[in-house]
Amino acid sequence: MRGEERRKVTCIICPLGCDATVTIRNGRVIKVENIECPRGEDYILKEIEAPTRDFFTTVRVRGVGVPVCPVRATQPVPKEKLSDCSKELAKIVVDAPIKIGDVIAENLLGLGIDIIATRNLEQIEKKEN
Amino acid sequence: MIEENVDVTVIGGGAAGLAAAIHAKETGAERLTVLDRNGELGGILPQCIHTGFGLHHFRENLTGPEYIARFIERVRSLKVECKLDTMVLRVTPEKEVVAVNSLDGLMTLKSRAIVLAMGCRERPRGALRIPGTRPAGIFTAGTAQRLMDVEGYMLGKRIVILGSGDVGLIMARRFAMEGAKVEAVVEIMPYPGGLSRNLVQCLEDFQIPLLLEHTVTFVHGADRVEAVTIAKVDEGGSPISGTERMIPCDTLILSVGLIPENELSEAAGIVLDPATGGPVVNERMETSIPGIFACGNVVHVHDLVDYVTEMGELAGESAANYTLGKLPPLAGKIVLKVGQNVRYVVPQVISGEEPVALFLRVRRPMRNVKVKIGNLTMPIRAVRPPETVVLRLTEKRLATLGKEKELTVNIEEEP
Repeated sequence: MRGEERRKVTCIICPLGCDATVTIRNGRVIKVENIECPRGEDYILKEIEAPTRDFFTTVRVRGVGVPVCPVRATQPVPKEKLSDCSKELAKIVVDAPIKIGDVIAENLLGLGIDIIATRNLEQIEKKEN
Repeated sequence: MIEENVDVTVIGGGAAGLAAAIHAKETGAERLTVLDRNGELGGILPQCIHTGFGLHHFRENLTGPEYIARFIERVRSLKVECKLDTMVLRVTPEKEVVAVNSLDGLMTLKSRAIVLAMGCRERPRGALRIPGTRPAGIFTAGTAQRLMDVEGYMLGKRIVILGSGDVGLIMARRFAMEGAKVEAVVEIMPYPGGLSRNLVQCLEDFQIPLLLEHTVTFVHGADRVEAVTIAKVDEGGSPISGTERMIPCDTLILSVGLIPENELSEAAGIVLDPATGGPVVNERMETSIPGIFACGNVVHVHDLVDYVTEMGELAGESAANYTLGKLPPLAGKIVLKVGQNVRYVVPQVISGEEPVALFLRVRRPMRNVKVKIGNLTMPIRAVRPPETVVLRLTEKRLATLGKEKELTVNIEEEP
């Protein structure tokens, strides 16, 4: 059995920004100190045991005046998968027209999340230069 | 030359201008024109592809393009006239807006009310006077954002970011996510300039060092940036000799402040507040010239677009009411002055009779403070310079304020 580890984690739930001290054993949080509210404690717990992040990037598009379309994941992505998601989407080229909410990739990397377009790309005319 | 009579002219089709246009129309302004020099509506939002927009206004976590698309659709369904690729050349105190585009040529819009919503601009390298060469590879953060996330260019492989404002932090994450190495974010102040969620999710997540009390003292490279020299600074912000260190990189990103864009306002003779860089406004967002209103980043630089929308809606409603003769003079006039620890407060003039939201910026991070305005005291747990403090003066709070002609806004730290 590994020993205990103590780590400082900044809470981002509110502007107070508590600098919590977390005691971790075998990847599990066993104690959170210096935190002022239950919401913050939940955040810290999740941040240590299963951190997730909003994921967004651009994918290449054909058929409009701009070369890329912004996209995002429908749900937060496990933090350690962010870079894999980004690399996977770099392989994709999408044809316009595209509407906000169009699914660009289904069940990305088997994570159970979809990638959707966040911008309408039908009315943008090709610009000179 | 076209001459046209309109009820309300809105200058700028970003978050503030669109919110103003929608509310002006809904309040009853008939002839409404939005002018924007860009080829599409939305201002800065289409390039802000990250999430975090709309948490207050829609109670949803949206990206920039999604947030602004809702307003663009509303403007279209209300059939508000929008003239794009249109440059406004002059605004007169008589409320004439002189503009030009390649379709209509020169036009004068004789307006019964005007809403200024021109936004802000980034502070460029020239304003920093960083010594060194002038190679390619130096971008302001917003320009880098547009080039990467709208135009699809990858700008570099080894990045140094000067300034820890939110756009700089967000670009640090974008570069890291797209495979570049972000060597450091360099901040001259002793505290970071961005929101704490961005410090965690944009820097800590990618192990990007944040060097506080440091600055870039030299840019190296002939054709392309090859390195920057950084140094620690003293309390006055001057580089300390002997602390210099060179960081090899190919790109320098500047995130060193935003400046409200008020050339038009100034030329019209509108009174500006030196603390905000924007027009002095009253609680209806009316400037020193009756019938000319202002909202969004042209008034002061916001941290959240949701507040821009709130301010835009108010400005649009006021402008429409002005043209309809439904905007009586303010029931009172209290000028708000900034006191200790307060950098600015908007609006600068309130009636003291109507509920109003005050937007404040503090000078330094503090905990357990008391905001004092006249006889009113409000406790706040924590304040930081990058985060707007919003004080909602309800009727109950206004009753304790006191009816002075001038009130000072102080923030006191508990001993």
